[in-house]
Amino acid sequence: MKKKIGVYICHCGGNISDYVDVEQVRKAVENEPGVFLAKTTMFACADSNQKEMVEDIAAQHLDGVVVASCSPKLHLITFRAVTERAGLNKYNYVHANIREQVSWAHSDNKPGATEKAIRIVKSAIAKVNRSESLEPVKVSATKAVAVIGAGVAGMRAAIELAEAGSEVYLIEREHFVGGRVAQFDDLCVSTETGKTLVTRLYDEVMKHKHVTLFTGAEVIETSGSVGNFNLKVKVVPRYIELRCKEHQLQDAIDVCPVQVPDEFNFNITMRKAIYHNYPSEYPQLPAIDIKNCTRCGECEKVCENINFDQKTEYLNLKVGSILLATGFDPYEPKRGEFGYGEIENVVTLPQFKRIMHYSKDKLMYRGKQIKHIAYIYCVGSRQVDGENKYCSRYCCTATIHSAVTAKNKFKDIYNYHFNRGIRTYGKQEVLYDESSRKGDIYLQSFEDAPPVVEKKGDKTIVKITDILTNNKELEVEADLVVLVTGMVPRKENSIAGLLKVPKGRDNFFNEIHMKLRPVETVIDGITIAGASQGPKNIMESMNSALSAATKSFSIVNAGELALEPTVAKIDKENCEWCGKCDEACPYSAFTKIEYNGKFIAEVNETICKGCGMCLPVCDTNAIELIGFTDKEVESMIDALV
Amino acid sequence: MAKINPEFTKELKSYGAFDVNACYNCGNCTAVCSLSDEENSFPRKMIRLSVLGLEEDIQMSLDPWLCYYCGECSTTCPRQAEPGELMMSLRRWLISKYDWTGLSGLLYKSFTASLTAFIILATGVLWFAAYQGFNPEKLLHYGHYFEMIAIAFVFAFILLPDIIRMWWFTFSKEHSKIPLSAYTKAIGDLFVHMFTQKRTLGCDDSQVRWFEHLILVFGYLLLLFTTVFLDWFGTNNTFVIALGYIESAIIFVVTFIFVLSRVKKEKEVSKHSHPSDWFFVIWLFLMGFTAFFVRLFIDINILNTNIWLYVLHLIVLVQWALLIVPFGKWTHFLYRSFAMYFIRVKSLNTK
Repeated sequence: MKKKIGVYICHCGGNISDYVDVEQVRKAVENEPGVFLAKTTMFACADSNQKEMVEDIAAQHLDGVVVASCSPKLHLITFRAVTERAGLNKYNYVHANIREQVSWAHSDNKPGATEKAIRIVKSAIAKVNRSESLEPVKVSATKAVAVIGAGVAGMRAAIELAEAGSEVYLIEREHFVGGRVAQFDDLCVSTETGKTLVTRLYDEVMKHKHVTLFTGAEVIETSGSVGNFNLKVKVVPRYIELRCKEHQLQDAIDVCPVQVPDEFNFNITMRKAIYHNYPSEYPQLPAIDIKNCTRCGECEKVCENINFDQKTEYLNLKVGSILLATGFDPYEPKRGEFGYGEIENVVTLPQFKRIMHYSKDKLMYRGKQIKHIAYIYCVGSRQVDGENKYCSRYCCTATIHSAVTAKNKFKDIYNYHFNRGIRTYGKQEVLYDESSRKGDIYLQSFEDAPPVVEKKGDKTIVKITDILTNNKELEVEADLVVLVTGMVPRKENSIAGLLKVPKGRDNFFNEIHMKLRPVETVIDGITIAGASQGPKNIMESMNSALSAATKSFSIVNAGELALEPTVAKIDKENCEWCGKCDEACPYSAFTKIEYNGKFIAEVNETICKGCGMCLPVCDTNAIELIGFTDKEVESMIDALV
Repeated sequence: MAKINPEFTKELKSYGAFDVNACYNCGNCTAVCSLSDEENSFPRKMIRLSVLGLEEDIQMSLDPWLCYYCGECSTTCPRQAEPGELMMSLRRWLISKYDWTGLSGLLYKSFTASLTAFIILATGVLWFAAYQGFNPEKLLHYGHYFEMIAIAFVFAFILLPDIIRMWWFTFSKEHSKIPLSAYTKAIGDLFVHMFTQKRTLGCDDSQVRWFEHLILVFGYLLLLFTTVFLDWFGTNNTFVIALGYIESAIIFVVTFIFVLSRVKKEKEVSKHSHPSDWFFVIWLFLMGFTAFFVRLFIDINILNTNIWLYVLHLIVLVQWALLIVPFGKWTHFLYRSFAMYFIRVKSLNTK
């Protein structure tokens, strides 16, 4: 029990004192056990009051402090800092919320509000009476970061981390770097191609001796926590030796008899079992797709550096932080969705981009020249019935850009945009302007009356009830229907499962706070970047990659981490391992250990967040939450009722 | 189910200067238009139909005739799509659609064709004058004769069938549904609008323009009456002669103002001039001007020695009567008033 508690009751201008009689509150609590001084103040958070508090604590040797004011979300940290400045351990500070919980909530009942405020302040005093000084949990941190995914976001983050001075392991599941951006030709609003960006980033990555790139690599096991993660990485070989003669490799590709759909081109073309996605691709060495390879031996006959003896390797990496930049998948329309899979000239936007890439003077698809192109927007995004309620952000711009590019590159192109409202935000608006001035036709419908794609004889007809033309029914005979598919989370994202990365309602990785902490996850030490977090364009991906890199670096840089001490604590004598706490824990902070001939639970203090989920499920009441012990909470309840 | 035709805007562009593809459907043009109302809402709807190339819908619409081109829409348009000029172009396009001969379309679309037609007619007149030995008496006689024949011919074989076509397009599916009584009840509107153009006053600050236009119309119609039925060039009646002088003077003074404003391009309405606009105002000016001086030359008795002036007048007259009246801008005089008439008929029918 404390002897010298200081209580400060805030007017908050009039936000509190207009409804709560703060003077009455002060009188009611000044004689509570342990209270040494009780004051009212116009603004507790004002500089002058903070100084007065510091003086009070230091001069009077206060051993506990309560401020009754606004929500702790607003000023808990402020007043903890005040006590620290005065030399008092900050865990001896308790915040009482009499604004959001009292004056604002009960503005219709002033006497009742005052009564409630008194009880809340009394309960805070009860808690501070039992509070203990706590020190942060210190753990060492490995000065290395694993960046998962060598797309543009991952590579950018890797470069930044390496430049800051961290060791970086850049882990890419594919045999080639660049991710989705490598599949893009011209970009907007700049005039570069996706491949140029990938090349520039790859060259920079290669310059840094502190970045180690693993391709064909996948994390298969994880353990540890912030500061000390252990990753087991499986590296699949290319089955081709380095420093191989280029013409021989081309010969090897030419002779390979295997033909499989080329995923890089979204299955509109075929590739061999020995392949690269495009000639200048990085790393500049093809790979053998061993799943589809028939081991016929043809390639070995023409290329001396094919080596089927290369073995899958397993590496153990130790890192302080993990940065996830695993990207997105384009939405795959269901069979029959706007004729997809049923009508042969219905393709997706990513496929259309590849079709443009492979067309020379005339835009050709399946041997037919394309002139009239219908784009159907928001396929797989902003769904009414489906799960994807979100807007994929990039697609309006990407579609209009593709339409303008098609018009510039090929002759006699007519574009028809069947949209649900165009969202070419920011600088991208100029593209919309350009496209419309070039004669592109925009047709709009609401979500409840989407356009219809129909086959009439050998013609493909797209129909719409156009809200821009007084709900008139209009139709276009299209040579090609492009479904503007949005972004969805990666289907195969094993690392997310291993690390238990929280996902939002949209199934993308979830940040702690959309605005204030946009690249951190609730799992300490794991940051997220790029489109793994949600639909983003390249610019936005770079922004998030750079901030995630900075955040990850701040974790590993000092070599030591100071973590919140308010975590779960096991009463070793009482604990009889039942596993319920382990099931309830959203962070996997528990491990089963042997103690005095029995099994008990142990808490990893670096993983535990002090959320308290484990407390109510423990049958033997063997878990205490430091800072919220039973004694503290019970005394608060006693004061309240 | 209407089929979109993106080629249409290309064709439409030869009827006037505008960038209709710039439109992003904000609707400011319709919001600021003081003539647009709920039943006949324009110009946005017309822009949309044009962008989509829905020719049938445009053909059956009277909206282009309801616009009197104050130009507010064009000045307000945030994308400089020139909705006012689009409405003007649509009127030209409609004229060419109404015209069964197809000549209107040809003359609107091709300046070369227009020029050739004017030259052919001028040569014809010159040849005829030469054939008559430049005999003033004979030329004046045939000139007067031509006026009567031309009016009768143009009206019976061009304008009347064209108006019937306009009616056919406008009432596309309801020809038989409208009772005759609606036509007779509404007939008053036809003449009120034909002779007053009072709808112009619905545009902001259009009083001066309306007045100039009104006296021009009256000057023109009266001069027509004076020359054709009172034989201005042949009469000795002082009153008729004075009347003719006043009428022709009104014509060339007012058209001079119009030409000047098209040159200056200060007002929105005179910013864009299609060749057909120039032909219309300049030829009207020349008509009034040469008529005035022909009569003056007769009065001071020097026409016989200056027969070139009458030949010039005749050339202008023939070009006017055979090109501009049946196939050019002159027809707006009829179509505008018939549009108002048809709208009245429609509204009487729906009531």
